[in-house]
Amino acid sequence: MSGRTLTAGPRLPILGARRTSSRAIVSPLRAFLALFVTAFVGVAGGLWSAWWVIQRGEPFGAVEAGPWRAFPSIGTPDADPYSRAIVARLGLVPLGAAEGLAFTARTDSEGRSLDGACTYRISGDTPSARLWTLSATDRAGGVLANQANRLVLTSREVLRDRDGQAVISVGAEVAPGNWLPISVPGPFQLVLRFYDTPAASQSLRTGLVLPSIVREGCR
Amino acid sequence: MTRFLLHALAALAIAGIVHVFAVAAVPALSPRDAWTQVGAFGPDGRLNPVPRAAPGVATLPQIDPAMAHAVCRFDLAAGPMRIRARITETYWSVALFDRSGANLYSLTDRAAEGRPINLIVATPEQISQLRERPLPDSNEAIVVDWPASEGFVLMRVFVTSESAAPDVDRAIRAATCDRAQPR
Repeated sequence: MSGRTLTAGPRLPILGARRTSSRAIVSPLRAFLALFVTAFVGVAGGLWSAWWVIQRGEPFGAVEAGPWRAFPSIGTPDADPYSRAIVARLGLVPLGAAEGLAFTARTDSEGRSLDGACTYRISGDTPSARLWTLSATDRAGGVLANQANRLVLTSREVLRDRDGQAVISVGAEVAPGNWLPISVPGPFQLVLRFYDTPAASQSLRTGLVLPSIVREGCR
Repeated sequence: MTRFLLHALAALAIAGIVHVFAVAAVPALSPRDAWTQVGAFGPDGRLNPVPRAAPGVATLPQIDPAMAHAVCRFDLAAGPMRIRARITETYWSVALFDRSGANLYSLTDRAAEGRPINLIVATPEQISQLRERPLPDSNEAIVVDWPASEGFVLMRVFVTSESAAPDVDRAIRAATCDRAQPR
């Protein structure tokens, strides 16, 4: 009896001690690793998602009319944090509501991406404005070079038909009348800016009508 | 399993907090924000012309190629600023941006009803000082209450046709943005 207790006695505490010690060593390490991974995944996920939203460059609060989109709240003091980040990352100086509103189209009226290899016909009503300008840019907003060196078409120089309607051709092929040349094949965007327009103020933006962009053909 | 879910939830919570702070920090950390880019066209405290937007031209991003632009970075710490220009028979606008790039004030030729551009930008304290000791011909000026010290002016002038471009450039070169001097 005494021998048993003697032999078993010292063994049991050792076994027990080993168990607790192995738990005491492995568990904190595992817990620490788990916390580390959790924190890392959290921080990386937060940074990545922030970067992703901002590099997309599309603020909230878009005003849409056909293929045209404008972001009236960007650059205003009450812009949301995402617009502020996008504006600051690109260094934009957006038009204020009293100045005007800029619309951008990346697709034609059927939703197909605008391509420099195609020709387009832009026609239809525009919101009342003192002045409008139409230019073609790359997807980052840089003005595109063209063979005729005509970078912009404005309401002052545009030719109108008897009903006062202006029809504009956009593309590489020389077109009679109003022509905005595009020399570079590949995706581009159209920027239509209205100056001194009631469309820039919130209350008059419902039922906004902008010209259609119709693809006429591609090379 | 529950422990894994707990960790996933914790990671999500951390991601959310980091996301909010990262987005909010971008304006302060951006190396290409409008304030920095505007500063590249000349010294602060004066009106500097900005090159017209054209292919391969380094200018402000996404500006209208039909417009001539000029910028003026200012700091009201040394006194109020005055912006003056005489531009006729074309659309123009003057926009005032704060350091973070928010457009706090703008004036167009229509709102000015054909009068020349004559703006005084001042802090609220400077405005109360101006009430006591007015600047010369300040009764014709529009006084803009500026909530901060720093900011910049962006002037846009519509170039009706290429033949009108030299006149517009001349009007912009003659325009001023400088410290309002009490005489």
